[in-house]
Amino acid sequence: MVSELTTGQRQMALTFLAMLALLGLFVAAFGRADPIGGHGWLVLVFSLLSLFAVLTNYYDPEPAADRSAAYYDAPVKAGIIIAMIWAVIGMFVGAWVAWLLVNPDLTFVEEAWASFGRLRPVHTTAVIFGFGGNALIATSFYVVQRTSRTRLAGHLSPLFVLWGYNLFCLLAVTGYLWGINQSKEYAEPEWYADLWLVIVWVAYFVLYLRTLARRKEPHIYVANWYYLAFILVVAVLHIVNGLALPLSWAQAKSYSLFAGVQDAMTQWWYGHNAVAFFLTAGFLGMMYYYLPKRAERPIFSYRLSIISFWGITFFYMWAGSHHLHYTALPHWVQTLGMTFSVMLLIPSWASAGNALLTLNGAWHKVRDDATLRFMFIAAVFYGLSTFEGSFMAIRSVNALSHYTDWTVGHVHAGALGWVAMITFGAIYASVPWLWKRKTMWSPALVEVHFWLALAGTLIYVFAMWNSGIIQGLMWRTYNESGTLAYSFLESVEAMHPYYIARAVGGSFFLLGALVACYNIWMTIRAPQPAGALQDDHPQERTDPVLEAGR
Amino acid sequence: MFKFHYKLETKAIALVLAIIGVSSIGGLVEIAPLFTIDQTVEEAPDMRVLTPLELAGRNVYIREGCNACHSQMIRTLRDEVERYGAYSRAVESQYDHPMLWGSKRTGPDLARVGNKYSDAWHAAHLINPRTLVPQSVMPAYPWLARTRLRTDDLPLHLTRLRTLGVPYTDAMIANAAADAAGQATPNTDRAWGVAERYGEATNVRDFDGATGAPTELDALVAYLQMLGRQTSIAEEPAAEGGE
Amino acid sequence: MAIEHDTLVHLSKTFGLFYLIALSVGVLIYAYWPRNKARFDAAARAILNEEDRPCP
Repeated sequence: MVSELTTGQRQMALTFLAMLALLGLFVAAFGRADPIGGHGWLVLVFSLLSLFAVLTNYYDPEPAADRSAAYYDAPVKAGIIIAMIWAVIGMFVGAWVAWLLVNPDLTFVEEAWASFGRLRPVHTTAVIFGFGGNALIATSFYVVQRTSRTRLAGHLSPLFVLWGYNLFCLLAVTGYLWGINQSKEYAEPEWYADLWLVIVWVAYFVLYLRTLARRKEPHIYVANWYYLAFILVVAVLHIVNGLALPLSWAQAKSYSLFAGVQDAMTQWWYGHNAVAFFLTAGFLGMMYYYLPKRAERPIFSYRLSIISFWGITFFYMWAGSHHLHYTALPHWVQTLGMTFSVMLLIPSWASAGNALLTLNGAWHKVRDDATLRFMFIAAVFYGLSTFEGSFMAIRSVNALSHYTDWTVGHVHAGALGWVAMITFGAIYASVPWLWKRKTMWSPALVEVHFWLALAGTLIYVFAMWNSGIIQGLMWRTYNESGTLAYSFLESVEAMHPYYIARAVGGSFFLLGALVACYNIWMTIRAPQPAGALQDDHPQERTDPVLEAGR
Repeated sequence: MFKFHYKLETKAIALVLAIIGVSSIGGLVEIAPLFTIDQTVEEAPDMRVLTPLELAGRNVYIREGCNACHSQMIRTLRDEVERYGAYSRAVESQYDHPMLWGSKRTGPDLARVGNKYSDAWHAAHLINPRTLVPQSVMPAYPWLARTRLRTDDLPLHLTRLRTLGVPYTDAMIANAAADAAGQATPNTDRAWGVAERYGEATNVRDFDGATGAPTELDALVAYLQMLGRQTSIAEEPAAEGGE
Repeated sequence: MAIEHDTLVHLSKTFGLFYLIALSVGVLIYAYWPRNKARFDAAARAILNEEDRPCP
């Protein structure tokens, strides 16, 4: 990675890392009586290791003067590898906590860090932000360069975005284990990690916008719209929901600026739109590039993709309050949330249908190519889970489903079936392109991964549908004398078989991710095919329009 | 060349502005009324604030991620009211920074769990739930009983919350650390100060059943025993609204 | 307080609706404007071209 930087850039990186190390040292010193001190040490170690990595390669030859005639793929490659590492960590912890619900005494160590309550956010953060976030950053770098036909606008800032983001993920995950958690779901990290993410995110936004501004295509391809919406709206959501008053500069604990019903509304405005713009818009961007590319067919209807883009951008923002049906939230806000959640089905199905219709005429490719099949199944699950989501947002359905495992099942239908599948598809497509291989090392292992992932998802989702509906029904069943028929404990006991099935499904999915890691590793290690490198050499392309523009 | 560049750049920025416009207006229109929601929330004149010990317990509750499995929001549905008690009112969480309504009931709702079980039950249940409820899937929290509660920074906690609008008095802030210890050691001078500042209804008991400095278990049990007992509004006939 | 709760509620219930309609119409017009068709088709096909390096 360092070899792509000029000496001046290497010096800048060293200066920055030295300053970061100093900051870590300060935090470690002033916060030594508080959990934040541990994070000071973490920042110190992280920046010293990075410093060391730059220093050992400091005297490497400088990059060629015409480096801007090639795409900047070093951060993309690193991002994909890091995403896979987080996938394994996150899915392992997920499977682990699933087994803890089967048998809560499986902890082995009776230590605070090993308890369910602290491991659960490690799972959610590692898969959503670690795996999903890194995959989004890496593929967005890849896609924006290809669709704009230009190199990323900067050499240090892509590295800063990638590694800075991973420092955030590390702060988040280690924080939960040490008991640093502000309790807001999917926004658990404390104020200083939040602040750091804001800096990283602004750099990401500026980099993305500057790269788009450099583009050599007249039109901004729609995938970039989705990526841009993801970057922008996530920034707004993160900043507003994260507003908090820290105890002091040297303490991790903070108190949210919002309280009670206001906080609930802000939290679920954030929570739902994090799903919308992190887990949907970003991955739709991925789909709108990789699916047509892999199928070698243009998107079925470009117009439809534009309409669904604005529909999603607009409708999602109103939908958050469906998480708060029958609560102390004002009734009209609940109704508004419900209405817009149902209307969301239109742009969502427009996107899913657009993807499937793109494949129409290429079904033989879907049959033969597991990578494309990953993307196909992702589009199917996207359609299914958006339907389910709109359905569950209806107040009377929500009365049954809320607080139950059905919600967990719904989330995983989206997360495993849609987000992870489209990501695996995109990764399997990009790895050979990036490392200049003809195919993945073993297409058969891609096939194995596909079936493991699909089986795992189906087992998981069916188990949670069953357990959720049973739970909801048991809680509201009355016996003949007009009293509640079941105690809460009886509903817990009834969940046991489904919790076993869920843990098995999750373990399948984890196994699939391990197979993927092995396959990717072997692809990278495989010898480079002769002659494949010729594309790397820049060639002068003459384009009359562009010549006139210059 | 600059002109060409400029045109492209303005287009990308126009897209950005459009995304901001389209997405934020949805959020703003929906959220803006909630910033004036205090005009509609019913009042609870008897609403009391959390004592320092209960607040510390709440922070333990957050730290251990209890809110991931336990909700604190009873919905306006017949079965929920019969199972957990009167439905939750907005005013009851008005001092909760952040709220802990939760989204999942792997365990039961806790909004009105206060004084439903004895302190000894809670202490034993937290140390190992399966000694009392063999089928439970709740994690065991044995270290809470071993860990001494940090009380020296409690005045700072109260000060910060007062900045955010929680009505802590100067006396409450000044005595925060002593009150935290006092609430867990009944029949001492410090204990009487707690009742004086936070009201006679405050639970002043030895929550963890062990003498000595207050532990995190003391704090968490004190918090759990307070849940649903900050105001008596829910015991009155239902106000208008809801279903 | 200067801003009354009811005013804001009223605003979201009226303005919000008009905003939604105007926006949907605007997007539909943009997407189906005949002159945009060629541009969209070109964009949809452009990603399929070989693209091993940036345009110089």
